[in-house]
Order: sequence, then structure tokens, then C-alpha cells
Amino acid sequence: MNIVKTARIVLLALIPFWSSVASADVAIPALTARVTDETATLTGGQRASLEQTLQDFEAKKGSQISVLIVPTTRPETIEQFSMRVVEQWKLGRKRVDDGALLIVAKNDRALRIEVGYGLEGVLNDATSSRIINEVIVPRFEQGDFRGGVSAGVDSMMNVINGEPLPPPDRRAVGGSGNVRGYLPVLFVLTLVAGGVLRAVLGRLAGSVVTGGGVAVVAWLLSGAVSIAFFAGAIALLFTLFGSGLGAFVGGRAIGGPGEGTGRTTFRGGGGGFGGGGASGRW
Amino acid sequence: MRAMLTWLMAAVALGISGCGYNAIQSRDEQVKASWSEVLNQYQRRADLVPNLVNTVKGYASHEKEVLTRVTEARARVGSVQASPELFNDPQAFAKFEAAQTQLTTSLSRLLAVSENYPQLKSDANFRDLQAQLEGTENRIAVARNKYIKAVQDYNTTVRSFAANLTASVFGYKEKPNFSVSNEAEISRPPQVNFGTAPTPASGATN
Repeated sequence: MNIVKTARIVLLALIPFWSSVASADVAIPALTARVTDETATLTGGQRASLEQTLQDFEAKKGSQISVLIVPTTRPETIEQFSMRVVEQWKLGRKRVDDGALLIVAKNDRALRIEVGYGLEGVLNDATSSRIINEVIVPRFEQGDFRGGVSAGVDSMMNVINGEPLPPPDRRAVGGSGNVRGYLPVLFVLTLVAGGVLRAVLGRLAGSVVTGGGVAVVAWLLSGAVSIAFFAGAIALLFTLFGSGLGAFVGGRAIGGPGEGTGRTTFRGGGGGFGGGGASGRW
Repeated sequence: MRAMLTWLMAAVALGISGCGYNAIQSRDEQVKASWSEVLNQYQRRADLVPNLVNTVKGYASHEKEVLTRVTEARARVGSVQASPELFNDPQAFAKFEAAQTQLTTSLSRLLAVSENYPQLKSDANFRDLQAQLEGTENRIAVARNKYIKAVQDYNTTVRSFAANLTASVFGYKEKPNFSVSNEAEISRPPQVNFGTAPTPASGATN
């Protein structure tokens, strides 16, 4: 009995704090995938297929579309909230600004298409409004969230397909692409592989093989021959003239933990938004 | 001699970047750019007005008062010289703000009135225009927000120590921001009055 009483008192004491928490703005979810569903409206399979569609579209067209479903945006309006989201997520390529966000606030029964600067010409306010009111809202009204979201995304992709955009970066095809992100991996690879190869093949041959290998890896990651050449040369010199450190690390790392960086997360490309798009309710 | 000259130049360069001169320059440019964006979006709205008025006129020609008010407000907005240097003149700035606010009010009145005409509401052209107007209002809000932040950045720089000396030497003053009293007036909830209803329009103030 006592425990229940204590719990009740604690809960009562927490209420003022709770209300202050509740009146604060909704936190922006971290961007880890193209489809972020905080309401568990979509099943895992639906989410994955939508994700795949959007990834293919980015690989083909270069523009980043993202879907966000949240329970509510209160106390902010959906326009204010989605502006904060895109300012943090920065969808779309830098200076092309070809990002778009479909955001649904399920309990508010509100949705919005937020359009980046570069797409405002083709996915303009009137078109966005039509997609919302003619494609998405009728499905949402019947409770078909999955159908509404995917039909809406399809229409957005159709519209964007009509716009001549710069071709997508080849390195972006893999999901996230930025050579800088791989530099530490390359460095470790040089150290480890260089050490091992130098121990096995001897100083000169080991260095040449390491340099060649790093060059190939850099070429695959960046797609630029100059970067590959540069990286290879550095690796070669490093292995050739480096102290025993490489060999030491190489020797220690045999059978050690791998690099473990296979999982790529989705990241915004740095696109800008200016409040274009349309909102709707159902 | 040469070495001394080099040292002197280095000292001057360091002094300039250390005293905040460059920071003031870049913040100043930022303010100008974001102000241009505000003007740009206001212009976009003003350009939408004639089309909107014409479309509404086709269905609701006897809402003369509302339509005239929008046209007048549009004309007043056009008459205020919206130069990029407007923010250096507080009085002209206030005038500009007042004109834009009036257009905002009259436009929202127009949209409220149009709720009473189902035929107008189902007109595709009107719906597109309405979507464009809503989008533009949102863009204006975003642009104003960015301007407010840019001005805040600039004013902070101009007023903080070291840079404030530079600012006073070169005559950089604080810039006006969108005034709060005005904002309060805008955000005051509209008064809904069901008692007097001379025109069918007054019921649609929601």
C-alpha cells in the first residue's frame, strides 16, 4: 500500500514537469534512413520497399526524397516543424538543393510536402497541393496510410523526373558517399596491410603492393583517378619509409577486429529549403 | 627594411581580422542577402494578387468592399520604395512593414470570404492560386525568420567588444529588426462576432 502511495505522490509531483516537457517543441528525429516512421504505421516490409524505391530514385536522378511520419508537431504548426526538420536534415545536394520531404503528423491529421529551392520550379506549390489533395488525402481518409504515402511519393518522383537536374554523383550510388568519410579507413588499411605486406614480401615489394591496393580502393570509393593516384603514392611512401610502426600494428592486427564499417547510413547532402511546398489536412 | 614592411603588413592584416572588421563585413552581407530574400517573397505575393482578385471577381463580384481593399493594399505595397537599403531607414522600414501587414490582413479576409462560394472553391484555377498564396505566405515567414537571425547575428557582432570599436570607426550601426509590437498585433486572435451579420462574409472569420 505504502509503495502505491509513494508512487502516486511522485507521479503527482512530476506532473508540473511533465507539462513543461509536453509544451516544449517536438524534438527532431535523427536522420538515419530515408523513411522515418515514429508511429509504427508502416510495417517493416513496407518501409523497406519504400526505402528501396527512394534509394533507386536518388541513384538515378540524384535528388533526395525523404518521408517522415510523426505522431504530432504540437505546439508548432506543421510548417514550422517541417522547416526545422529540413534545416537540420539538409536533404538534397549542395547548391542543387533538390531535396523534398513528405511529412505526416498522424494525430494532427495534417501533412505537408516541403520542397527544396532547386525543385520549386517543377514541384511548385500548386502541384504539391494537388498531390496532397488529390492523391494522398483521399487514401488517408480511408485509413490507407501505406497507399497514400507511397502513391504520394510516386507522384513526387514522377513530377521531379520531368526536371532536368545535374546527373547524380557516381559515388552517391552506394547510399552515402564522401571520400572524406573513408579516409580513416584508408589510413588504417594502409597501416595494417602495409605492415603485413612489408613483413611478408619485403620492404620494396610490400610498399608497391600496398600503394597499388590503396590506389584501387581509393579509385573505387571516389571514382577519380587523380585522388586514387595521390592516395596510392602516399601509401607507398608511408610504407616504404615509415618506421616499424606499420609492421608492428600489422603484426598485432592479424586476426584482430576488422574495420566493421559496412553499414552506411543515409545523410542529407546539404540542400537548402526556403519554405516552398504545400500543406493539407484530412 | 623589407622585413619590417612584411611585419607591418602582417600586423595590419592580423589587426583587421582581429578587430572584427571582416566579421562585420560578412554579417552585413548576410543581412543584405536575407533582406533581399524577404523583398523577393513579398514581391512574389504582390504578383499573385491581380490574378487572385480577377478569379474571385468572376464568382463573387458583389464582394466589392473586400476586393477593393485588397487592390488598394496591393497598390500601397507597390508605392513603398522597397529598395535593398530600406533597413537602414527605420521610418521607411516601418512604413513598408505597415503596408505589407495591411496586404496580409486584406488577403486573409479575401480568402475567408471565398469560403462562402462553393463554386469558387472548386475552381481549379482558384485552388492553384490559393496554394501558391499559402506557399508564398510560408516563404515570407521563413525569409523573415532568416532575416531576423541574420540581423541578430550582425547586431551581436557590432555590439560585442573589439568589433564595436571598429564598427563605430567605420560607421556600422545596429540594424532594425521586425518590431515586436507589430508582431503582437498580428498574432492577436481575430474577434469573431456572430451578433451583427450585414453581409454573408462576416460569418467566415474563422
